[in-house]
Amino acid sequence: MTAEVTLDAPARAAEAELLMSVADDEFVIGFWDSEWTGIAPMLEEDVATSSIAQDELGHAKALYELLAELTDDDADRIAFGRDADAFRHAALLNHARVDWAFSVARRWLYETADAVRLAALSSSSHEPLALLAGKMRREETYHRLHADTWFRRLSDGAPEGRERLATAFECLWADAQEIFAPLEREETLVGAKILSQPMRELHATWSSQVRPMLEPLAEGLTPAEPSPDGRRRRTDDFRWLHGEFTMVARSEEDATW
Amino acid sequence: MGTRGPAPVLQYPVNVMNDADTIQPLNGRPPYEPGDAGAFFAHVGSGGKVEADDWMPDEYRAAVLKFVEMHANSELMGVLPERDWIMRAPNLRRKLALTSKIQDEVGHAQLLYRVAEDLGKPRAAMLQDLLDGKTKFHNVFHYPTRSWADVGIIAWLVDAAAIVSQQALRDSSYAPYARTMKKICWEESVHIMHGRDVVLTLMNGTPTQRAMVQEALDRWWGPLMQMHGPPTDPAKDKDLHWGIKAKNNEQLRQEFLSIYVPRIRELGLRIPDPELRYDEAEGRWHYTEPDWAELKAVVTGHGPASESRLEFRRLNFADTQWVRDALLGGASAAA
Repeated sequence: MTAEVTLDAPARAAEAELLMSVADDEFVIGFWDSEWTGIAPMLEEDVATSSIAQDELGHAKALYELLAELTDDDADRIAFGRDADAFRHAALLNHARVDWAFSVARRWLYETADAVRLAALSSSSHEPLALLAGKMRREETYHRLHADTWFRRLSDGAPEGRERLATAFECLWADAQEIFAPLEREETLVGAKILSQPMRELHATWSSQVRPMLEPLAEGLTPAEPSPDGRRRRTDDFRWLHGEFTMVARSEEDATW
Repeated sequence: MGTRGPAPVLQYPVNVMNDADTIQPLNGRPPYEPGDAGAFFAHVGSGGKVEADDWMPDEYRAAVLKFVEMHANSELMGVLPERDWIMRAPNLRRKLALTSKIQDEVGHAQLLYRVAEDLGKPRAAMLQDLLDGKTKFHNVFHYPTRSWADVGIIAWLVDAAAIVSQQALRDSSYAPYARTMKKICWEESVHIMHGRDVVLTLMNGTPTQRAMVQEALDRWWGPLMQMHGPPTDPAKDKDLHWGIKAKNNEQLRQEFLSIYVPRIRELGLRIPDPELRYDEAEGRWHYTEPDWAELKAVVTGHGPASESRLEFRRLNFADTQWVRDALLGGASAAA
């Protein structure tokens, strides 16, 4: 049972940083995956991928709303009103969707890492965050099943799919570590039990889970660590995406859409 | 043998659809002998229904297949104009609503291709014919989109024009199609609310936003008026005669105008047709004759975005072929 805690100013600032990192992850992966809507390899998969993207965007919305409450801001302004450099998603989400294998590899890396992170957040001392993480976890369980199914289909299937998947994992492996990049105010978060474990411990848990599964597929993957700027690096792919999703919102100042 | 216990209680409902809310499948045999085309047409002509495994004359099967296949193609191609805006939706609520709306359209395509498949043409063949330009899709999906207001106008008025004809299809003589249309109509009615809300928000916004909607309506009005097709001679319209569809083109257009002209004007929009008026005595709308030559050119693949849309589909289909091959074992795999 988590107890409601009153957050003092440092804890509030620290939680805001945490919420923004998780929300931006969900927002950006939701945008990339929603781009498959209408053009996925099969109609059944089109509907499934679109549904998952909507779940992620729904999670982003709930997280931005919680953040907006903490910082007396507005969820849409946080999501659509920031410059590209102010986003705090992990480097894993800096890449465009490329092909189906790339999207499957990224989703699998993200879902496995997100499961570890959500398990920690669902025992947060800040009850609204713990409740939201618990709710997200229930939906993410199905995303994980979906990602696992495609991981197996491609890795156990024809050589072309296996090769494409292995190439995608090799390309994404280093950037996937950044989901656990250290947060500036992490000590405060762990001290106040808003985050039950430091990021480096969550990273170690995740790494020990996924490396044995990836080794048979991609032999070149060596142990890797998150880097301090893992949530601050931005790419041209993301700048393109940012230009797209702010295009309408920025075309008319202060308008309602 | 011991005494028999009570009959096992079923763990799931046998009729998953509400009896009152669905067209019930025919029980037992239809009231005509296999091979008796005269009795078959008398049956459908008097409102009778046909199930997928009933005997039907080849000409009826071909006509239903052509009709449903074009509908499925339209749902699939109809995804593309709105998809241009999935990455550009301006806030979280619109982003979720638009993605969900387009997902519904893909789902409709899937349902309709299944109805069509039962009539004997594999899904892969239907998709190939669409990509090759051999089969058609609705005129409105051959036009480009230009602004966020198009998202509102398409979801509100294109879907409204579509639902007018789709509601009539819930009475189709081909029962699997009629049942599928029930689900589709329900979802389309949600899309119309989403579209109207987008338009209403813009009309309550800045002068630039209001001008954006008027410009979009001016562009879409012509295609909307063409969408139900030119008036046909009901006596010669086999789809009508056989109950595949229940209303003729002009009836559908009049119905659309009666419902939507007041709603469009209510929001402060001007309809770009000086001839548009309702004649009380005749009980019908007069309007400038739609450009039927344009309609014919557009649906045969010569619309402003026909080739670019098909090319986009072809490229994406080719890019994902390896996935279908990996999964389903090669060229026989349906997308």
